[in-house]
Amino acid sequence: MTGPSRPSTDQGISFTFDGKHYHARKGDTLAAALLANGIGLVGRSFKYHRPRGIMTAGIEEPNALVTVGEAGRAEPNTRATDVFVYDGLVAKSQNRWPSLSFDLGALFGLAAPVFSAGFYYKTFFGSAKRWMFYEYFIRKAAGLGNAPRDVDPDRFSQRAAFCDVLVVGAGPAGIAAALEATEAGKRVILVEQDSIMGASLIRDPQALDSLWVEECAERIRAAGGHILTRTTASGYWEHNLVTLSQRLAEPGQVPSRGVAQRLWHVRANEVILATGSIERPMAFAHNDRPGIMLSQAARTYARRFGVLPGKRVVIATNNDDAYQTALALKASGAQIVAILDARPAPAGQAYGLPVCNDAIPFSTEGNRHCLKSVTAKVGGISKSWDADLLAVSGGFTPVIHLHMQSGGTLKWNDAAQAFVPDRSLQNVKTVGGAASPEPTFTLTPISPPKKSFIDFQNDVTLADVDLAWAEGYRSVEHLKRYTTLGMATDQGKTSNMAALSRLAEKQGVAIPEAGLTTFRPPYTPVTMGLLAGAGAKDAGAHKRRLALYDVHAAKNPIWQPLGYWFRPRAYPMAGESLAEAAMREARSVRTAVGMTDVSTLAKFEVSGPDGVTLLETACATSVGKLAVGRGRYTFMLREDGFVFDDGTVWRLDENRYLLTSSTGGADRMATHLSYVRNYLHPELRVSVVNVQEHHAGIAIAGPKAKSVLAKLIGEEPPRHMSTVAAKIADVAVLVLAASYSGERAFEIYVDARNAEPVWAHCETTVVAEGGCLYGLEAMEFLRIEKGHLVVGGEIDGRMSPQDLALDKMLNKAGGFIGAAGLSRPALSEVGRRQLVGLEAIEGSIPEGSMLVTADGQSPEGHVSASAFRIVNGGSIALGQLAGGFLRGGEELIATSPTRGQRARVRVVPPHFYDSAGERYRD
Amino acid sequence: MTDVTVSNLPSAPLWAFEIWSNPDAVAARFAAATGFALPKMGTSGGNDALRLIRYEPTVWLAEGDATPLPSILDTDGALTAIGGGVTRVLLSGGGWRRLLMEGGVFDAECPTFAAGSSAATIIDHVNIRLHVLNEDACLAYVPLSYAEGIIHFWQEAATALD
Repeated sequence: MTGPSRPSTDQGISFTFDGKHYHARKGDTLAAALLANGIGLVGRSFKYHRPRGIMTAGIEEPNALVTVGEAGRAEPNTRATDVFVYDGLVAKSQNRWPSLSFDLGALFGLAAPVFSAGFYYKTFFGSAKRWMFYEYFIRKAAGLGNAPRDVDPDRFSQRAAFCDVLVVGAGPAGIAAALEATEAGKRVILVEQDSIMGASLIRDPQALDSLWVEECAERIRAAGGHILTRTTASGYWEHNLVTLSQRLAEPGQVPSRGVAQRLWHVRANEVILATGSIERPMAFAHNDRPGIMLSQAARTYARRFGVLPGKRVVIATNNDDAYQTALALKASGAQIVAILDARPAPAGQAYGLPVCNDAIPFSTEGNRHCLKSVTAKVGGISKSWDADLLAVSGGFTPVIHLHMQSGGTLKWNDAAQAFVPDRSLQNVKTVGGAASPEPTFTLTPISPPKKSFIDFQNDVTLADVDLAWAEGYRSVEHLKRYTTLGMATDQGKTSNMAALSRLAEKQGVAIPEAGLTTFRPPYTPVTMGLLAGAGAKDAGAHKRRLALYDVHAAKNPIWQPLGYWFRPRAYPMAGESLAEAAMREARSVRTAVGMTDVSTLAKFEVSGPDGVTLLETACATSVGKLAVGRGRYTFMLREDGFVFDDGTVWRLDENRYLLTSSTGGADRMATHLSYVRNYLHPELRVSVVNVQEHHAGIAIAGPKAKSVLAKLIGEEPPRHMSTVAAKIADVAVLVLAASYSGERAFEIYVDARNAEPVWAHCETTVVAEGGCLYGLEAMEFLRIEKGHLVVGGEIDGRMSPQDLALDKMLNKAGGFIGAAGLSRPALSEVGRRQLVGLEAIEGSIPEGSMLVTADGQSPEGHVSASAFRIVNGGSIALGQLAGGFLRGGEELIATSPTRGQRARVRVVPPHFYDSAGERYRD
Repeated sequence: MTDVTVSNLPSAPLWAFEIWSNPDAVAARFAAATGFALPKMGTSGGNDALRLIRYEPTVWLAEGDATPLPSILDTDGALTAIGGGVTRVLLSGGGWRRLLMEGGVFDAECPTFAAGSSAATIIDHVNIRLHVLNEDACLAYVPLSYAEGIIHFWQEAATALD
């Protein structure tokens, strides 16, 4: 740029670009403000670091990518054409060092022949050592802007919306459609990605001006319609679900009410796409210099922003629309040096402008910051013009992305040389320019292909397409991946048709026969925070809190995420590590007594005379002979016969049972029971109610557990696998005598609202008996030593009851889910992996390690859980080993090469402690 | 600025009221005993002492004095206590519909979702049952473990509704 191109009045907004202060007008895009301040060089290209300016005035911008904002609010790769300047905006150029103007990365351009299409793939040729050399440099060079390291301080919202009609695009066609639907009494949402409505009317207000737009907007709102600006329809999904990304604050800006962006999930009965079209650039040598701009963009800067992007203007076109640009720029004070019209005379001759027909741009000259001259072939003869702006128009590409994402098909419009929407699979229609693009003249590039860029963002030239073709890439999808054409933030919005045209030319076919790549969501880039929504700072989900959460929190435990739950992992005393605390807690259970919170266990109350039938369908063990007040271990199978969960079932009354199962499988078990209740046996007289959260659960375990419980309930505790209703601290509780630790143990269930006094009373009594609280880590030690299974560990979805030595417990009457699957021959094959115990001969057994007979041999199993003997010491583990039941005493190696850990182990039975089960029986 | 207040209500006796046989007979006994009909799907009904919300084809959430319910059910269904696992949250003010669209998948802004309507839905990944009290208030039944998280979510979202 040669200097400021609009008066400096009314410039109340200040911003910085690469540390320098500038001024802008309200309503300016960053691109407009940079142009107004005479800045032509805005970025560096991805691969060759070529100087790039501003090419467009919209979301399709491939060149002017900047980082906007600071610290956690920094947003890299933001198009300068898609951010509206606010006071204090901080923008930085990207992909350059040490500065934008003097970028050493431009040396890559000198090695352009090396970095041609597919160079990345070619680095994989030859020995791996070569790649190890390349890798460092490729990784250093890859990418554009840098992702912020700080946490984004803003919030992101996700909101649902429902409407009769969703109109995408607030240009003349979209506004008219929205107005008609709204005034017909329909619920209407109209979305526009710009900050104001009007679209092409902002640039070309000849017939319908801003007053018409405002009047329509008022009528739409008055009739109950909802208008969302700065909102882009980013994806079109099944069942007319359209996602919208809305900017409530500009990139890097402090949002007024804390929410920076909102992701809308809109379910519409009908969708009207008024998405317009995108102007195409032209391919010629050095067509990527600052000062070369799309024709409509130049017109937009002049008319909307009052910015004249050049004073000596050459316009290259193959259609009539560019003449509107010539007239607009001329009216703004620019000199139209020449109009290069690819069409033969008399095209364009009626405008009274210096038109050259049969004229195609050939090359340009300039420097890092601006354009200096344009050379064209006019009737085959070279001609040059001094110019600081070249406005090009290679025709128009309808924005058909959403139509295609909806499952719609396309057809070829020969007059416009473009694909347009054809059939729709959902209730969607396209109106306006996207349905009826302007006719255009077929233009074949004549310049040498090497510097004729077609994908500006990825530095893909015509020569790259030619090379891909020469190297055998025939499919357009392969071409895309080999050249990287159409990738990155612009997703080929300005490049696809040029590439297709070249590919078709090479194939000797028409463009439609060359094919088209798939348009996938999102239409424009969306931030990761927007996708994460309100959970962006919390792994996308709410933390599930125990009913006794505050009680635990007061003891400052180490917390353990378990699904969405957070449970105490251990309660360290002063100076204790996790391992020390857990071992102390486990020893307390083995030698005295301990208590822990087991509230998260899945719990279902099954009521009704057909409860047994339901349970004996859902569970693989028998239930019918269970006496009132008794319970038993049970497990459940998938249809294919594999174990997927286990738990206990208790008969509370003649027709009332309590089924417990694993915490992590609670939702899956609810689905399993619902499947039995509502699908397999809807005729049953039974009620299944999920009471997981209704009951808080407290487990007391250890040699003293029985005496502790006797004190708590004031009566003889129930024997193992029996139950009794009692009171603790005057609160009604249900006591189940069940053990997961291997010690005499009880689970106390209480209405969660009344859990605190019960817990407090239990804790006081346990501590008085020399016991302590224990967490998940100690529980894991205890259950491994006892050889109890855990879902997700030993029960990993691949183990049959036989593999886990549970087959003796199967209901011999059959009829349970998975019974048929168990008869599959594969489940009886020799060599299946089976549950084994492992004890270390040397070293500590790494959890998750492979079991091999010798180094270098194939794995024959793996370690599912490992721990140390609680009282006697020594590393032990549970594992799954091929043919494990018959391999007792065999020595193996447990190895984890990725962690550099290994241990020599001996195969033993999977019960390291009280295998006879004498400790939990009176 | 859209107006809505999020309030955590005291716990209440809540029950799952399920019918497995003779639904017409149970409905007749119910109406005779309580003075109001068993509500249909998507609706609630009741009086000051007892309110029922139908949330599954054969299951109602009962709130209040459940004393008459076992005899109404007789051998045709079961009553199961669930109140310990549910937190009641009152959303009051004209903005409750807009608030429920945050993180939601249900059309709470639909005019037919009016007083006496109910719904079982997911909001910000949490399973929630809704009962419209009137145009300015909606009662939400939230799982206890998620209550603090979802209340925080609503309170934060309420500051940025439009």
